[in-house]
Amino acid sequence: MSSPGYNYSEFVASVEEFNDFAVHAPKATMRAPSFALEELATGNPMQMSELWRSEIALIEFGSFT
Amino acid sequence: MAAESMERLADQYANRAVRSVFIYTREAHPGENYRHHRSMDDKRANARAFVEHSKIRRQVLLDDLQGTAHRAYGMLPNMTWIVGRGGMIHYKSAWTSEADVVDALESVLDFQANRAKNQWVVFYSERSAWSRRDMGQFKAGLERAGPQAVADYQRMLESNKAARAAPSEDIGPRIPGNYYRTEDEAGKR
Repeated sequence: MSSPGYNYSEFVASVEEFNDFAVHAPKATMRAPSFALEELATGNPMQMSELWRSEIALIEFGSFT
Repeated sequence: MAAESMERLADQYANRAVRSVFIYTREAHPGENYRHHRSMDDKRANARAFVEHSKIRRQVLLDDLQGTAHRAYGMLPNMTWIVGRGGMIHYKSAWTSEADVVDALESVLDFQANRAKNQWVVFYSERSAWSRRDMGQFKAGLERAGPQAVADYQRMLESNKAARAAPSEDIGPRIPGNYYRTEDEAGKR
């Protein structure tokens, strides 16, 4: 599945981009949601919750571009 | 992207029970050289190029192609979050700033080490943060992605210049797309 809306081919700024983060995303003091991820180096799947099971998790989101 | 400073910070805190990771999302400014992802293989290839170019030593994790985790956490291009041991969100930042992350991390480490002794309990708080914008590095990133990325950004600036510049005499400049609009500003758009 290519998910074209999310993986846009052309950058267009959205006035809603901040609202998704500030209004709809979880807030400090909430429990962090966990999702399935893939480790780039090994291809192994993992759950985000593994990140904070026994340590503090410092998570940066981003991309090359 | 504050990749270099965040790598340094990851090394600095690795022996203090802080696990630093980078979650690879969609391409924020796709271009001819690094296109949008049409498959997980596209995403893996761009992520590997990023790791090599930026000398990333942190664990890099891929979100799925639909951006399930990225969407749930707010979809901004360069957010940083700190989650305490056990899963409580202690910090969510719309932008990644080394100085602000250090400040927050030290606070979380202090809390986790001393909460029982000091009988601390958590409450919700908000604050602003600040950093310098390195436009030279940002433009270099656009050029690396390709002419289309440069053109898309320029087109956005021309069509939406006032909104993106976010001028406000009473509040001061803010990073585009990373702040609440005042009531006046919201009414103008």
